[in-house]
Amino acid sequence: MSQPASQTLPCTAGIGLRAPHYREVLETLPQLGWVEVHNENFFGGGAPLHTLLRVREHYPVSLHGVGMGLASTTPLDEAHLSELSKLCDVVQPAAVSEHLCWNSAGGWVVNDLLPFPYTREALAHVARRVEQVQERLGRQLLVENLSSYLSFSHSEMTEGEFLAELVRRTGCGILFDVENLYVNVRNLGVDAEAFIRDLPPDAVKEYHLAGYSVRDGCLVDTHDHPVYPEVWELYEYVLRQLGPRPTLIEWDSSIPALPVLMGEAAKAQQRLEACRAGR
Amino acid sequence: MLDDDLTRFARAIVCGEAPPTQFDAWYGEYPVATAIEVYRNNYRGNLHDALAGAYPVIQQLVGEEFFRYLARNFVEQHPSRSANLHHYGAELADFLSGFAPVQELAYLPDVAALEWACHVAYFLADEPMFDLGRLMQIAPERYSELRLRTHPACQVLRSNYPVSAIWHAHQPGADSDFRIELEGGHRLALVSRPGDAVQVSELSPADADWLLRIQAGVSLGETTAVTLEQFPEFDLQAALLKLVAQQVLIDFSLEPLP
Repeated sequence: MSQPASQTLPCTAGIGLRAPHYREVLETLPQLGWVEVHNENFFGGGAPLHTLLRVREHYPVSLHGVGMGLASTTPLDEAHLSELSKLCDVVQPAAVSEHLCWNSAGGWVVNDLLPFPYTREALAHVARRVEQVQERLGRQLLVENLSSYLSFSHSEMTEGEFLAELVRRTGCGILFDVENLYVNVRNLGVDAEAFIRDLPPDAVKEYHLAGYSVRDGCLVDTHDHPVYPEVWELYEYVLRQLGPRPTLIEWDSSIPALPVLMGEAAKAQQRLEACRAGR
Repeated sequence: MLDDDLTRFARAIVCGEAPPTQFDAWYGEYPVATAIEVYRNNYRGNLHDALAGAYPVIQQLVGEEFFRYLARNFVEQHPSRSANLHHYGAELADFLSGFAPVQELAYLPDVAALEWACHVAYFLADEPMFDLGRLMQIAPERYSELRLRTHPACQVLRSNYPVSAIWHAHQPGADSDFRIELEGGHRLALVSRPGDAVQVSELSPADADWLLRIQAGVSLGETTAVTLEQFPEFDLQAALLKLVAQQVLIDFSLEPLP
């Protein structure tokens, strides 16, 4: 059995590790604080899991889910949960996260990260499911704020208020995706300062950064660009308000060469260090 | 309430129904219809990417552009059923059999079936190697009673086309200068998972006949006798050595297998 590198995320910059870079990372072992992978790519076993376990010998690993559907109205998928639980047992991840979204309702499955109305009914529903997942995994789940292209007219609270109350009820942590917030500011007119003010600072355990695209005036969270200057600026503001946290560069489509990703991570690292030095 | 909201939202995305009135109508620079269109594109794009990931050979055979058209048609007929995108696309071989524009490419459905077997095999959990030491503890006169267990990844595929050769010619690093004789009759391809590598190989009719009966849970003695009747050239020892090495045979029992 291989020895895991570490079971806590260091407060440094990491990258989302995707298939095109597995080999290069394992052969060159670049200096990286930590890596994050998508859970579903390692369900089952075989070559993907073997690769992840080798990565795990050198870097702390964060497991990031895209398929749990915390707000879905179909029952939590038992097979999915059981695969995640098995994966946690072998990987011993430094963090486990999921999105504040849904992907299944009324017999339909939509493989995407979809928004829902922030109502008291939804809050009770999501809180129950977060508790179920945390009980099953025996650990804290980090819940990530969502990027949205529309909003529901009957929402009773903001996403920030929803997340804060979810933390209070379940003890979950928050994965704060700064780019998602920026997308929501531009698309939906969300108040960034209020959102950040609403988050309980101690519950925020990790930041995400990525690039978006624009389609017909709508910012789409495509993870296929470098982080934009406006998002870096928002990130610096977040660092001043909430302090440094482990920060991830996500790139999922038109994935660039590893040095490009490393360069983005270095920019985040500089800002983390500047924040720590009080600059 | 929540369930109604989400179900209507899902129908707008998957079926293209008019956006429900539960959404705010306008967002700074675009109307709600644009947002729904973005979600519809994401949905179709994600399923297209899942299909392309599972069927790289089909994509090469028909070209990326036609594959997009094909995937769009497939997605319309086959809504997603699983939150795990790696589960999407099992029905592509059936779909291709009935898809008018590819009827000329008669080998396509069988290549798709082979690719799906490989895709499933790739994500399966590891299985132990056949334990020869444990086999030594069984009296040789009882060997004929043994039932052999095969790796869950193992699949025998029959085709009128050389699907194994087609598959190999379209793997990364394969020689692009190849000739495949499409005629030549009935072929058998074997998908196996030695260690964590997916392997595709050709199987002789005798070995396939034997293996299919073993997979069905028939005892070693009876299977071998029936195969030898039809294929006197069948070489049991060679077949055993090869199939154990390929991790096709992974376990055995004197009792009927579950």
